[in-house]
Amino acid sequence: MSVKYVPVQWNPNKWYYDAALLIGVVLFLWIFLYITPEALSHERPINPQVHNARAFGACAFVMLSIILCIGPLARLDRRFLPLLYNRRHFGVMTCFVAITHATYILNWYFAFSSSDKYSALLFANTSYGQLAGFPFEAFGIFALLCLMILAATSHDFWLKFLTAPVWKSLHYLIYFAYFAVVAHVSLGIVQDQQNPVLLWIIGIGAGSVAVLHLAAAIRERVAGDPAGAGGKWVSVCGVNDMTEGYAKIAQLPNGERVAVYLNEGKLSAISNACAHQNGPLGEGKIIDCLVTCPWHGFQYNVTNGQSPAPFTEKVPTYRLRVENGTVMVDPQANPPGTYVEPLSISSGGAA
Amino acid sequence: MTVADALVMLVQYWLIAGAVVAVLFLVIGIDRIDEDARGAYVFRPLLVPAVLLIWPLILWRWFVLETGRDNWAARHHPPRRQHFYVAIILAVLIPLTFASGLSLRQTWPADVAPVQLSKPAGEDG
Repeated sequence: MSVKYVPVQWNPNKWYYDAALLIGVVLFLWIFLYITPEALSHERPINPQVHNARAFGACAFVMLSIILCIGPLARLDRRFLPLLYNRRHFGVMTCFVAITHATYILNWYFAFSSSDKYSALLFANTSYGQLAGFPFEAFGIFALLCLMILAATSHDFWLKFLTAPVWKSLHYLIYFAYFAVVAHVSLGIVQDQQNPVLLWIIGIGAGSVAVLHLAAAIRERVAGDPAGAGGKWVSVCGVNDMTEGYAKIAQLPNGERVAVYLNEGKLSAISNACAHQNGPLGEGKIIDCLVTCPWHGFQYNVTNGQSPAPFTEKVPTYRLRVENGTVMVDPQANPPGTYVEPLSISSGGAA
Repeated sequence: MTVADALVMLVQYWLIAGAVVAVLFLVIGIDRIDEDARGAYVFRPLLVPAVLLIWPLILWRWFVLETGRDNWAARHHPPRRQHFYVAIILAVLIPLTFASGLSLRQTWPADVAPVQLSKPAGEDG
């Protein structure tokens, strides 16, 4: 949250998350390097540099696949939301594993000529006109560059400075990076792999990412937030459909989403997009007039869209009225932090 | 100079420009555009890698905030619609790419004799 920036806002949940991550990475590398070396085609003589490069490369691929599965899994089933909580640390660790993989490759395959190793990486294979023997390293370089940009911009400062929409647009690079990684391994290690274990890992990892994203997208289309209807005022739902302490989310004509809450018998409406990472505020529950974002725990007062002191985040609010038992919202958002008198559902007036 | 050397040099110049922007932004700019950064110094070295990589974007946002052109409404409008298209494109491209890789694979016994595909450089056809 805001107040003063610190390098990392540690809390017990982040410690547990990162500890589990670290244990997972060490376990993966240990299994690949020492328990099942044949999975990396080590039945043939191989030197330690290539040995390590393959293990770190496989680990980075699996980590990236898991990261990309977390988003759609959380959209399909809320029980996966805890995995989303500290996904940025997951991404940063993946970047370091990928850099280690690239360093082993550079310091073995490209380090023993008279040319600069970075130049050698770029000119060693320039057969860009053919698929067989395509310089798959180019895909790896692109993916690594994307991962570095994502990891470097993971601090909360960048979210606030760039704004969540710009930050999220920048972080769409993860999809380009993942496609590049799939191309990197498909035209690289897959061509040289005799043992099927790694092929299965790549196939299952990439397949899971593709299938889960497709499933989440279809579900969003079929059972997503309903579009509000009407002219100047947009209908959200019937008053009787509201549940105490929870929200109904509706899409406005301009594509934005509004979350309308019933709190102690009164209606309030704020933007559905959290000021932190644009998480879905309407999926949070109200406690003491504060709604908690299900992604990272940011809180807002539903009557004025402001975080409780000393935090300073604000989201836009909306005016409401009840007409013939239907909750209506004015699609014109109020500036973030604007107080709107909660609307009693029994009064049926405008607020 | 080869194309590869030129690319490496370009990257070096990009990083040097990024280092200059990093010094200016982290010493002067950040205090001017974000009140939460005032008096907070320990976290600033963590920001250096991002400035090195995307300094043009940093300069643009700095300009927008400095000149009061920031649009508060846009801050609360997440780009959610692209998720659908990204999912469709991923679902097509990922299996296609992996299948292409598999179809290119050559089967071989481990001790197959190597076949030279082209003549060594410098030899005439």
